[in-house]
Amino acid sequence: MGKMVTLTIDGQVISVPQGMLIVDAAKKAGIDIPVFCYHPKMEPVGMCRMCLVEVGRPVIDRTTGQPILEADGTPKIQFGPKLETACTTPVSEGMVVRTQTQVVAEARRGIIEFLLTSHPLDCPICDKGGECPLQNLTMAYGPGESRFQYEDKMHLAKHVPLGELIYLDRERCILCGRCVRFQSNVADDPVIAFSQRGRALQIVTFSEPGFDSYFSGNTTDICPVGALTTADFRFGARPWEMIPTASICPHCPVGCNLTLNVRREAAAGGREVIKRVMPRQNEWVNEIWICDKGRFGYHYTESPERLRQPLVRKNGRLEPATWEEALAFAAEGLRERSGVVALAGGRLSNEDFFNLYQVVTARQGRAVLYSTMAGGDYVQRYGLSGDANLAGLGKGDAVLVVATDLHEEAPLWWLRVKQAAERGATLIVANARPTKLERYAAHVIRYAYSEVLEKVQSLLAGESPEAQALAKATNLVIFFGQEGLSLEASEALATMLARLLVQNGQAERPLSGLVAVWPHANTQGGWEIGFRPDPDLAHTLATAGAVWVAAADPAGDDPILAQALEKAGFVIVQDLFLTETARRADVVFPVQAFTEREGTWTSGERRVQRFYPAVPELENTRPDFMIVAQVADHLGIPLVGRSASRVFDELARALPAFAGLSYTRLAEVVEQWPLVGRGDLYYGGTVYENTQGLGVRLARMSAGAELSEWPAVEIAPAPADDALYLVPVVRLYDQGQTLVPSHLLQQRMARAALYLAPATAAQLGVQTGERVEVSAGEWAETLTVYVDANVPVKAGLVPRSTGVPLRQPLWVRAQRAVLEPQP
Amino acid sequence: MNTLRAKYADEIQAILAKYPPEHKRSAVMPLLYLAQREAGYVTVQAMAEIAEILEISITDVASIVGFYTLYYDQPHGRYHIQVCTDLPCALRGAEDFLKALCQALGVEVGQVTPDGLFVIEEVKCIGACHRAPVFQVQGDGEIVFHENQTLETALAVIEALRQKAQQEKEGTA
Ligand code: SF4
Ligand code: SF4
Ligand code: FES
Ligand code: FES
Repeated sequence: MGKMVTLTIDGQVISVPQGMLIVDAAKKAGIDIPVFCYHPKMEPVGMCRMCLVEVGRPVIDRTTGQPILEADGTPKIQFGPKLETACTTPVSEGMVVRTQTQVVAEARRGIIEFLLTSHPLDCPICDKGGECPLQNLTMAYGPGESRFQYEDKMHLAKHVPLGELIYLDRERCILCGRCVRFQSNVADDPVIAFSQRGRALQIVTFSEPGFDSYFSGNTTDICPVGALTTADFRFGARPWEMIPTASICPHCPVGCNLTLNVRREAAAGGREVIKRVMPRQNEWVNEIWICDKGRFGYHYTESPERLRQPLVRKNGRLEPATWEEALAFAAEGLRERSGVVALAGGRLSNEDFFNLYQVVTARQGRAVLYSTMAGGDYVQRYGLSGDANLAGLGKGDAVLVVATDLHEEAPLWWLRVKQAAERGATLIVANARPTKLERYAAHVIRYAYSEVLEKVQSLLAGESPEAQALAKATNLVIFFGQEGLSLEASEALATMLARLLVQNGQAERPLSGLVAVWPHANTQGGWEIGFRPDPDLAHTLATAGAVWVAAADPAGDDPILAQALEKAGFVIVQDLFLTETARRADVVFPVQAFTEREGTWTSGERRVQRFYPAVPELENTRPDFMIVAQVADHLGIPLVGRSASRVFDELARALPAFAGLSYTRLAEVVEQWPLVGRGDLYYGGTVYENTQGLGVRLARMSAGAELSEWPAVEIAPAPADDALYLVPVVRLYDQGQTLVPSHLLQQRMARAALYLAPATAAQLGVQTGERVEVSAGEWAETLTVYVDANVPVKAGLVPRSTGVPLRQPLWVRAQRAVLEPQP
Repeated sequence: MNTLRAKYADEIQAILAKYPPEHKRSAVMPLLYLAQREAGYVTVQAMAEIAEILEISITDVASIVGFYTLYYDQPHGRYHIQVCTDLPCALRGAEDFLKALCQALGVEVGQVTPDGLFVIEEVKCIGACHRAPVFQVQGDGEIVFHENQTLETALAVIEALRQKAQQEKEGTA
């Protein structure tokens, strides 16, 4: 830590690091200085004047450089003629700050009176009422009465949609600029701004769609009034009616900490329902932010399409059955067959994975991870370790991002890597196409999709400026994805990247390591427990005696897997929905959503975090781990299945990386800075304090033997000159089953399409909006073309989870689709 | 397509050349003038094009248009009749003059006359206090002062401008 400075605030003597602002120093000492425009996560601007305090400094004798002393030997303190803004004034040695004097009280009263001259004071119908900084500070410091004419109040528009997600109430806005600064400086999406001036000053957006940012919801948390509200929550409930429950975002491997706000609702027949999703502070993971997918993407848990009853195949049809029947039927199906394959997706919890793994291994079966990306075992050995926090990256460190578009795949990691670059870390971004992260990159490595492995190998060879920058970094964090890679190629990539860390001597350092940008929240957990992806999944399924699918929909994703599944002997499916796979099953079990049960997920950074039940389970559903244990019970395999925490205890006993962990341990917290979510909502916003667990990072596994040579993978060369490399790419808002029920995001969701470079489109003789047929062997699709200058030539990008059956990149033939002449 | 860039390639280049490339956003002011000259006001399309040229967000461009009173984001009259109603002028009857003028033209301050030619604006001191009521006409690239005005003299000025516009339209100018 740097130099410390000692000062006195309201008679309390404290020491804080040099450079700290008075407002933060006071907060550390437990003294509240009210603020509106200041926010501890942003640079101060001193716009609102709410934080005025009296500041005195020791008088220095110019000749001696020593403080002049009073008669009693204490330093003489000179107070300025005017109050100073505590949010822009850094502390200095010997400073004396008074926050409770008459002058300060008058200043606060004056500011509040001004702010209220044009405030509608519609707190009774305002979403922020009850957790509103303006309301609270008016109660604490305001005059109670105004000397201004009521008739002179400005009346402005109250329901201004800044796009479909966020609404602005212009009357309530106090022009603090927090939202604008957040969007410009934190999110770097300057899509809202001030327009006009004086009393007509107002927030506007001109982007298309309006307020076009993945982080927009955060502005509703830091807005100190009810001016910004989400379309999802506005007029939904009063803050004091809602019960907060700690949770974790289910949508990506970052694992943002959430708080689910729940209320009993007449409209829902008296049931408890989720009213909104809020960020929960975890400075190691998401700080105090979440992306809009996490905030608005919970509606699938309450979809009317959820399965509500076990189904059993009778005479060729799936019929409703009791749990007892279904469990017995499943067990019988397994008992009769050998060669069971468990196929599990990254949405399962660690406990679910663990129980499933126990059963299939007891039956000499295989545990297959439903994934087209490898490298989880390398992350176990070469991941970050201990308390390492991305926030610790800065000058002298480096971040390498390969084959992933973090802004689309893991928005909070994008944000944290951007911040690392802003603190001075050297950022190197390698991808076949430009991504938003490149704005902050010191080096950009561009490659044709087929050359990615050679490029990374050349980093190992060490000559290029990029390689040297990586080699000399103290800490090196590597994020790697699977864009443009087959399963085998991603395995090779992970090996090379691990080698890079070893070769550079960074592998042993805690704040260095591999982070896999998985498609799901708990893919890493699957690896930890022993599930592995299968390069020849179709064959494995087709030849399996029985297939036990959980949280995966292979048949819906790929017709080839659907066919393979038809050949499998017996199929058990556990899911939230009647997926294509479930339709082909012999038994279907309805599972609980993450909002209804307990569990843990392992993030891409290997942090194990707990989520808690927020709402009662949908009747007749059970958690995955319990279903597995109950089937196992019928087979005479004893498994813990009653409570998630006890399954976790078993897991912690069985797996060295989890040794010593328990639900109690995962629920531990430490005090975090900035202090947020307490009574002083004006300071940090409505983000929740973390009282239910920061989670724990798994111990790094020993590296074991020398790193093997990576498999000699060659990315298939173009089969013909005019072939197109079809690459599935991730878009944050896709058409996956866990997002589509969030209707609010519909307009922004990616659609099935083929993105082509202008040159490629010209070669095919197509323009945006026209259609192209792509085919490889029996596989064929007709897609609408979008011409996009950011797409590499000879490649065609297809957004994932939009209904196009493309799980891995594929060389295809492409030709303009001729419309059938109408008969 | 970026029509501004296509039409004024050289002029835009000249403007951009005045600023270091890493600070090219500073060229937003002259580019907005250019756009306003082109259409009489700054269209949303023009804002988008300027944003593209300068690699900033369209919202940032719009924010600047909103801040400065001399950029217009709505179609405006060809002639801005700017009447001073600051204190000295008010003492010499400027407020009544303005009211009468508005009534005679059948518009309110800020509104455009139905023929699209005139907009009446209320402005602060224009430096001719001792000759109030006073207004200036901004349009056709020039500013013309009219001092010691009465409703009649003002209407005559306006009529003359209207005739000029009419003749232009008929091609007899
Ligand atoms: S909308 Fe809210 S955050 Fe934005 S300027 Fe107004 S009061 Fe501040
Ligand atoms: S960044 Fe990922 S984990 Fe965080 S809120 Fe968004 S989708 Fe959820
Ligand atoms: S001026 Fe300090 S909080 Fe606004
Ligand atoms: S006050 Fe009207 S011109 Fe000066």
